[in-house]
Amino acid sequence: MLGADPARRPVIVGVHATEQALSLPGRTAHDLALEAALGAIRDAGLDPSDVDGAQLDWSGPGGAPGEGASWARMLNDLAWTSDSFLDNAGVRGLLKACAAIASGLVDTVVVGGCRLVSRGADNSPVGAGLPMEFADVWGSYVVAQFALVAARHMHLFGTTSHQLARVAATIRNNGTTNPEAMMFRRGPYTVQDVLASRMIATPFHLLDCCIVGEGGAAFVVTTAQRARDLPQPPVAVLAGAMEYHRVAYADPPIYDEVGQIGRKAAARVFGRAGVGVQDVDVFSLYDANSFEVIRQLEALGLCDEGEGGPLVDSGAIELGGKHPVNPDGGCLAHAWNGTQQLSLRVIEAVRQLRGTAVHQIPQARLAAVANAGSGAQHYELALLGAL
Amino acid sequence: MTARPVPLPTSLSAPFWEATRRGQLMIPHCARCDRWFFTPELACPGCLERDWTYREVRGTGTVYSVTVVHRAPSPGFDPPFALAIIELDEGAMMLSHVVGVPPEEVRIGQRVRVRMRELTAQITLPEFEIAPPKA
Repeated sequence: MLGADPARRPVIVGVHATEQALSLPGRTAHDLALEAALGAIRDAGLDPSDVDGAQLDWSGPGGAPGEGASWARMLNDLAWTSDSFLDNAGVRGLLKACAAIASGLVDTVVVGGCRLVSRGADNSPVGAGLPMEFADVWGSYVVAQFALVAARHMHLFGTTSHQLARVAATIRNNGTTNPEAMMFRRGPYTVQDVLASRMIATPFHLLDCCIVGEGGAAFVVTTAQRARDLPQPPVAVLAGAMEYHRVAYADPPIYDEVGQIGRKAAARVFGRAGVGVQDVDVFSLYDANSFEVIRQLEALGLCDEGEGGPLVDSGAIELGGKHPVNPDGGCLAHAWNGTQQLSLRVIEAVRQLRGTAVHQIPQARLAAVANAGSGAQHYELALLGAL
Repeated sequence: MTARPVPLPTSLSAPFWEATRRGQLMIPHCARCDRWFFTPELACPGCLERDWTYREVRGTGTVYSVTVVHRAPSPGFDPPFALAIIELDEGAMMLSHVVGVPPEEVRIGQRVRVRMRELTAQITLPEFEIAPPKA
């Protein structure tokens, strides 16, 4: 477990996801962030005055937009804040909170909020319009950058569009039967449905890509000692690691560098945790697109490089499979909402380990949760465990 | 946003764009560790040497990866187009388009060579076209 002092080992004790939808016109990012933070604190059985750390998005109005210390006015006596948007979400946010807690800088941190990216002036895809001198002039954007990694993988290993579509159909069908998912009741989908949807950037069809919408999420991390008298069964953060390469979306993702991103993080995580990836009961992975799941099966060590497609063909990632992935519907069908979909991946893992997930994997004791991937050129991995 | 984005040269990139206007492809090269790199950075990504220089490359290379973009990120593009990572023969990798053939015919491993296209009075883009296989 993380941390030398058993009393200070970090555990997750509260989670909250707001409504997730293609559009929430009646709500603001700030309103959703406040709901997420207070909801997670309430779920933990805590009062806002019990929180002394905030890694939360602050978009205003009020305060200083982008400056996390603005939360000090609402959450009194803060000892720990964070400004960077990716430090306020998901596994990166979790691991930074864990480091701060284990070292004694702070006791109880709420991580999350809401950061909407889908409300642009036009309907351009995510990542378009950012001034990236050597990328945007070529019409490059997030989906296309991930596609450049997938295309190279298919060239090297014979991975097929059918295998990508099987990932998409499997995870989308998990979302189809999850009432919290943006794509609830939109399916079911077959592999043929995915292959018949319009092409976005080869090899990705529309249904190979995640669903972009709006929503917030947050979770609370505290010490094992503090968790003893709290109502929820604590979820331990057993190990974690992060991995970084080039500048996301500005530099092209080179397969030789990022095609197996996550391998170093996995070696560190499983080396420290004393368990193997084959021991993990459920995976909550970043499925920005269908290919990223195939790639992660390899990088995490569930199979050799190039064998991710055949592993998907075997049914391994399905709810009843050997390595179930994203029972909630993931980014493909539950939500991709800006940055807090990263926190939704953590929340699904926590719910699985509490035994309260919508699509509960029986006797789940170990969960791997990961954020971002090859096109993003960064990767964050945590191993969570039921105590 | 309606037009294709136009690069705004910086102190790092101005020599690159001045070269393409002259019809030359020039790429950062670090003499200290003999490394070609792209995109330009203040210091060489290999050895952190700040005293690297732009040097002209042959303009030939290989398609490292390619995606046919059907949904362009903004108006100003004419999809579908072949967005590719080009591995220059000197070793650096750069994003560009492969033009002159239907985009779905562009394949990983194909030989390409640079072809300049004037985008604005200030900016000339280094695109690539299919070249004969390497002798």
